[in-house]
Amino acid sequence: METAVTFARLVMLTLVPYVLAGQGTMLAGRAGVFNVAQEGIMLVGASVGFLGAYLSGGNLLQGMLLAMAVGGLFGLALAYFTTTLKMDQFVTGLALFFIGMALSTLLYRLAIGVTLTPPLIPTLRELPLPGLSRIPLLGVVLFRQNALVYGAVLLSLALYLFLYSSGSGMALRAVGENPMAADSLGVNVNLTRYLTTVTGAMLMGLAGAYLPMVYTATFTEGMVRGRGWLSIALTFFGGWSPHLIFLGALFFAAVEVLAFRVQVTGVGIPYQLILMLPYLATMAVMMPTFRRLQVPAFLGKNYDRERRALL
Amino acid sequence: MRAHRSPLAVVGGVVPYVVSVGVAFAAAGIFLAVMGFDVPRAYGTILLTSFRTANGFVQTLLKFVPLLLLAMAFTVPLAAWKFNIGGEGQLIAGAIGAAAVGIALAALPRAALLPALLLAGVVGGALWAGVPAWLLYRFGINEILTTVLMNFVSFSLLDYVTTEVWPDPAAGHPTSVSIGAGGHLPLLVSSPPLHAGLLLALGVAAATYVYVNHTAAGYELRAVGANPRAALLHGIAVRRLFLLSLVLGGALAGLAGAVEVAGVHHRLIEGLQSNYLLLSILIGLIAKGNVLAVPFVAFAIAVLDVGARAMQRTMLIPGEVVFVVEGLILVFVLLSDVVRRR
Repeated sequence: METAVTFARLVMLTLVPYVLAGQGTMLAGRAGVFNVAQEGIMLVGASVGFLGAYLSGGNLLQGMLLAMAVGGLFGLALAYFTTTLKMDQFVTGLALFFIGMALSTLLYRLAIGVTLTPPLIPTLRELPLPGLSRIPLLGVVLFRQNALVYGAVLLSLALYLFLYSSGSGMALRAVGENPMAADSLGVNVNLTRYLTTVTGAMLMGLAGAYLPMVYTATFTEGMVRGRGWLSIALTFFGGWSPHLIFLGALFFAAVEVLAFRVQVTGVGIPYQLILMLPYLATMAVMMPTFRRLQVPAFLGKNYDRERRALL
Repeated sequence: MRAHRSPLAVVGGVVPYVVSVGVAFAAAGIFLAVMGFDVPRAYGTILLTSFRTANGFVQTLLKFVPLLLLAMAFTVPLAAWKFNIGGEGQLIAGAIGAAAVGIALAALPRAALLPALLLAGVVGGALWAGVPAWLLYRFGINEILTTVLMNFVSFSLLDYVTTEVWPDPAAGHPTSVSIGAGGHLPLLVSSPPLHAGLLLALGVAAATYVYVNHTAAGYELRAVGANPRAALLHGIAVRRLFLLSLVLGGALAGLAGAVEVAGVHHRLIEGLQSNYLLLSILIGLIAKGNVLAVPFVAFAIAVLDVGARAMQRTMLIPGEVVFVVEGLILVFVLLSDVVRRR
C-alpha cells in the first residue's frame, strides 16, 4: 500500500510538464496551428526559469513568470510567421525549436559560465490543502502537492469547460475545423490563432521551468529529454481534447516514474532498456489508435483571408 | 529542380543568403558587444580558423562529412515533404551496425571487412528509419513524432552496447572495444589525418543529387512532395514513396555513422552523434530542400562550428553564439521567400 501511494504521488508530480505542454499544443492546434517547437520552448523555459529564480535569490515565481514570458515570445514569433506571413508551420516550428535549444544553453553560459559545482535554486514547496490533505491515502496523493500540480489539474478542467460549454470555446474549435465557415460567422481567425498560439507557448515555457524547479534544482543542457516531443504524441492520442490529454499525461507520467524506479532499484533488467520504455510505449500505443484519432481538420494549414483559401 | 537557370536567377537566389548572413552576424554582434566581448576578434576567429592552418582545415572537413550525409538524410525525405528528425538515431544505429561487423569480423582482410562494415552501417540506419517509415505506411502515424522518439531509444541502445555488450574496461567513458584494423577507412592525408570518407560522402551526395533531380523516381518523389493528392491521382504510390524516402534518408544517416566509426573513432563512443542532427536540419532548411545547395551550406556550417569551438577555447565566449547566428540566418532565409512572394 505504501509503495502504491508513493507511486501515485510521484505520478501526480511528474504529470505537470506533460499536461502543461500537451494542453498548450492542443490549444494552438484547435485553432489550426501545429506547434512543433515544444522541445525548444521547454528548454528555453527551463533555462530562463532557472536563471530568473537563481538571479533573484531563489524567487521561483519570478522564474516561472519569466519562463512564460519568453515562451510567449516564441509563440508570438510562430503566430506571426505562420498566421501573418503564411510561412510553413513545420519549417517555422523546427527553426524555433533550433533557436530555443541554442538560446537555452547560451543564456545559461552567459549568465553562469562554467562552474565546478552547479548553482542551485530551491525546489517548489509542497502546499498541503487544509483539511483535504488529511484524507487518508487520497490526501497524500492529491492534496499534498506543489501549486503547479493543482494548477495543471485546474487548467485541464477549465479548458474542458471552456472548449465544450462556452461560446468562445466553440468559436475556437470552429477555427481549427473550418476557418472559412468560422470566418463567415464573424470569428476573427487570425486573432484566435495568435491568442491560442501565444498562450500555448506560455504553458510550454512554464512546463520547462517546472523541471529545474522540481526535479534537479539546476539547469542542465538538453534536460527536457524529449518531453516536448512526447507532449505532441500525447496531444495526438488525447484526441486534442483536454480531458483525454490529462488521462494520457497520467499514462506518460506513470511510465516515466516506473522507468525511474526500476532504474534505481534494478530488477535484473539493464537500466538502458528501461529508459527506452517511455518512447517505445508511446509508439506502441499509437499503433492501434492513431487512425481513429480526432484531429482538427485544418491542423497545420494556414488560412488566407483575402483569398478565403488554405495554404 | 529547375533544369535551365539563367545566371541572373542564380545570383538572385544567392542574394537573400548574403543579406541573411550579414544581418544575422550583425544582430549577434550587437548582442556580443553589449555583453562586452571583442566582436571583431571573435568573428575573425569564427570565420578564419578553418583556413589558417592545415589542421583547422582538416578539422572542418572531418565535420563536413557527417554533416553532409545527415543533411542529405533530412533533405531526401523533405523532397517528398516528409520530416526526418531521426537522423541522430539512424546515425547511431549505423555506427552500431558498423562496429558490430568491425568487432565480430575483426580478422577479415580490409577488402572484405571495410565494405561489409559500411554496408552494415547503411542497413542499420535504414532499419532504424524503417520503424517510423513502417508506422507511417501501415498506421499513418506522423513521422515527425516517431523519428524523433527513435532517437531517444538509440541513446539508450548506444549506452547499453558500450557498457554491456562490447565494453572497453580501460576507458573511463562508455566506449566499445576497437574494430579490426581492416575496418579503418584509408587516409587521404596522413598528417593531419584525413580519412577517405570525404570522397565517399561527396560521391554519395552526387549520386543522391542525380537520383532526386534527374531520374523518374526522383521526379515522383518531388511530385509527391509538391502535391500528394495530385500525385495520387496520377497513379503514384504515395504511401510507398513516403516509406522509401524515409528509409533512404535512414540509409544515408547510417552511412554517416559507419564513416564516423571507420574513419574517426575506430570504435563506438557514447555521444558520437555530437549535435549533428540539429545542424543537419538547419542545413536542410537553409538549403530549402535543394539537394544541390546542401554541400555548400553544410561546408559553411562546418566552418562556423569549428570556428565557434576555437573562439570558445581562446576567448571564453560561449560557442552557442554561433547556434543563435545560424538560427537567425535560417529565419531570415525563410523570410526572404515571403518577401519575394509579395
